Amino acid sequence: MGNGVKITIIGGGVGGYPAGIRAARMGAEVTLIEKDELGGVCLNRGCIPTKSLLQSGKVIQTIKESETFGIKCGEYKADFSAIMARKNRVVSQLCSGVQRLLAAKKIKVIKGTASILDSRTVQIEQSKEKIISDTIIIASGSSPAKLNIEGAGGPGVMNSDTFLEMKTLPQSVAIVGGGAIGCEFAQILNNLGVQVTILEMEENLIPGTDKEIARALQKSLVNDGIKVFTKAGVKKIEHRKNKNTIVFEHQKKSQKCEAAKVVFSVGRKPQTAALNVDKIGLAHQNGALKVNEYMETNISGIYAVGDVIGGTMLAHVATAEGECAVKNALGQKTRMNYKVIPACIYTSPEVASVGLSEEIARDKYDDVEVGLFPFTGCGKALVINETYGLVKIVAEKKDREILGVHIIGPHATDMISEAVLGMSMEMGVEDLANAIHPHPTLSESILESSLTLHGGAIHMP
Amino acid sequence: MPLKIVMPKLGLTMTEGTLIEWTKKEGDSVKAGEVLFILETEKVTYEFEAPEDGTLGKIIIHNQDEVPVGEVVGYLLRPGETLDDLKIETAVSNQRPETLETLNAESAVSQSDSNTDLPLETNDMRVKATPMAKKEARRRHIDLRTVKGTGPGGRIIREDVQKKNEEQQTASTPEQPHKTSGQKLVPLTGMRRAIAKKMLSSKVETAQTYMSNTVNAANVKEYRKLLLSHLEKKTDARVTITDVMMKITAAALKEHPVINTRWTDDGILYFDDVHMGMAMALDEGLIVPVIRDINRKSIIQVAENRLELIGRGRNKSFLPDDISGSTFTLSAMGMYGIEQFTSNINLPENAILAVGAIIDKPVAINGELAIRPMMNITLSYDHRTIDGSEAGKFMQTLTRYIENPILIFE
Repeated sequence: MGNGVKITIIGGGVGGYPAGIRAARMGAEVTLIEKDELGGVCLNRGCIPTKSLLQSGKVIQTIKESETFGIKCGEYKADFSAIMARKNRVVSQLCSGVQRLLAAKKIKVIKGTASILDSRTVQIEQSKEKIISDTIIIASGSSPAKLNIEGAGGPGVMNSDTFLEMKTLPQSVAIVGGGAIGCEFAQILNNLGVQVTILEMEENLIPGTDKEIARALQKSLVNDGIKVFTKAGVKKIEHRKNKNTIVFEHQKKSQKCEAAKVVFSVGRKPQTAALNVDKIGLAHQNGALKVNEYMETNISGIYAVGDVIGGTMLAHVATAEGECAVKNALGQKTRMNYKVIPACIYTSPEVASVGLSEEIARDKYDDVEVGLFPFTGCGKALVINETYGLVKIVAEKKDREILGVHIIGPHATDMISEAVLGMSMEMGVEDLANAIHPHPTLSESILESSLTLHGGAIHMP
Repeated sequence: MPLKIVMPKLGLTMTEGTLIEWTKKEGDSVKAGEVLFILETEKVTYEFEAPEDGTLGKIIIHNQDEVPVGEVVGYLLRPGETLDDLKIETAVSNQRPETLETLNAESAVSQSDSNTDLPLETNDMRVKATPMAKKEARRRHIDLRTVKGTGPGGRIIREDVQKKNEEQQTASTPEQPHKTSGQKLVPLTGMRRAIAKKMLSSKVETAQTYMSNTVNAANVKEYRKLLLSHLEKKTDARVTITDVMMKITAAALKEHPVINTRWTDDGILYFDDVHMGMAMALDEGLIVPVIRDINRKSIIQVAENRLELIGRGRNKSFLPDDISGSTFTLSAMGMYGIEQFTSNINLPENAILAVGAIIDKPVAINGELAIRPMMNITLSYDHRTIDGSEAGKFMQTLTRYIENPILIFE
């Protein structure tokens, strides 16, 4: 299909490299340009390193609760530099894996910064090499957003990039922004004995997530000893000798909190600086490139995918968009569908959701019903000693279509895929309830939650 | 195990029914034969009776349109069973339309039908559609085979069905009038939809052709008059002109078998017997009850049969057999004083006779002007099956019988 078609991809992250492999599999001749490391933010400064650090924390948790299982471990010692080294090993192993995959598909990888000269030409800034192709796919990603307040540029302030390169552990950390990244950072630090405060501007942590689930996560983090302030608007940061004072407004009063370090996790912004966007006339809005449902920009032959187009900045969305762009570039007309996209937070307990929150569902539909099942009713959860959390199913009453599934609890992020599949096939509550689930598993909680809307759960009075 | 109560299948073509209302409440005890709920199909209103003694345990579907045949609408607890048995039952197996074994007697009859009357979608090839798309299609009366799927793997998703529906709406009603005061929108009933579908296919799918004649009905009138006085003491049923016309037409059909046929894809289906359909107006719309084996019935029996059918129609208690299986239909408009009209062939039949009012008219007889009670008869016939000459011969026989009713007793 793509025989001989030349495609140039700017960015080797999870938007760009899977697109390259797909294009090559479809017969295209692919050049991939990456200014930094293959794998992009996800592999190097995002998904993978943070999950690796969270896993180290999980090991600490396991040791701490080992006596519950009848095992005495004695003293443990968390070696921060060894933890970071382990994280780096995982990252580099995955990066070299990507490199091998690209090589196996005969994709030409160029290290350098790309700028676009016209709809067919990309130039490498460093070498001035010009690459001419039929299609250009921009997957240049994003960088951490900054908060424009006094003291934001101070020496004690980190963002997610610098956080992951810390050499030593600070005594205390204030995290500005209680979204997915902020909560994960908080837990990593808390497990390593750091005093953590989260300052979130919205009403709940992880804004946008179903409120019941968000509150359950907040409760759990607070139980673990993390201080959480919501509806807290950070005003300025005063830096004095290894100490930062964060001034914020909370409940209409100006309050202060002190921390050795401050971490900003206030979202990300599209990265277009080097691309030459305005000169060639690429349409953009609030810094994000504008694309249609086929992932094509306003310039024919130039596509854009991933964080650089804004919207839902998630690795798996970028990958799906990349795949969609490639198919369109190679003549297989495909629309990008954003209806069923899972979102995961890898704290303990984990949080995973897909579809509409109860709040939004009630807003959109006249008649909504909600199924709930707590993990306390699940045998497997008791076996692994992780009974905190619940499975919530939001359905439309008339046709019983599943509108959203929200899980907080053990392995939530692995279990959500069942709901993703079901929802992408537009299944009803009864379809989920009629599927036999293996016993004993955590996934039975999804079955039971659907049964609460379909004849009643078994393991709940 | 509690007994599943499912939407029964009341006829060959029934695929869904409207559950109008339950006459029992959850927890009511019921005796076999007592009415549990009332349902409406495209053709009839029907009272569903309890197949056994028990307690109405749970109502699953209260009142709802378009409940598919076989769908569980409720559960009947057998003596000794409690709601707990039901919980297990509903949790273990839910809404499995194939569990038809718990249907009652009426539906058991139709069980054998269900093999020959599979929903179209399973006939040829499986249509890939999501459960929500299927529900939407059922509600909107959209044939999934006409919908293009845009979901995963080309599956039809709900949005595709909604789009198709919008297309159809804009195509069929180019200008939707705004509803203002002085107007009201009456939603289509199942019966209205069925009539609309049938009438339209009759016009679109047949080669409908018409043939008309005006005949002297003096002897028909005279014959009926004699009969009335003769039968006065024997029966309450008053023989009508329509009864006489049905008998006469049936006799003529016997001599022209090609008129008493059905068009099928495999060939033309001839019937030995005449089952006479008679078009009848109910408040809800047109319906065609059937007088079976009319040639084997006396005129009194025909009149009595007609009255029974009218009674059941008014009480909404038609049985499936009352309104299916006709081989030819007669429609009379004499009561409205209509002189001449044409009827739409009642598919899958091949012809229908429209009988006008008997009106005194000047006619020329042997070169002299005379006044005679004249009646117009118009045959609508499907020219795919019936040639003009065959129709002509039938009309000739019919005319002869109408003018000399005594001839039918040959």
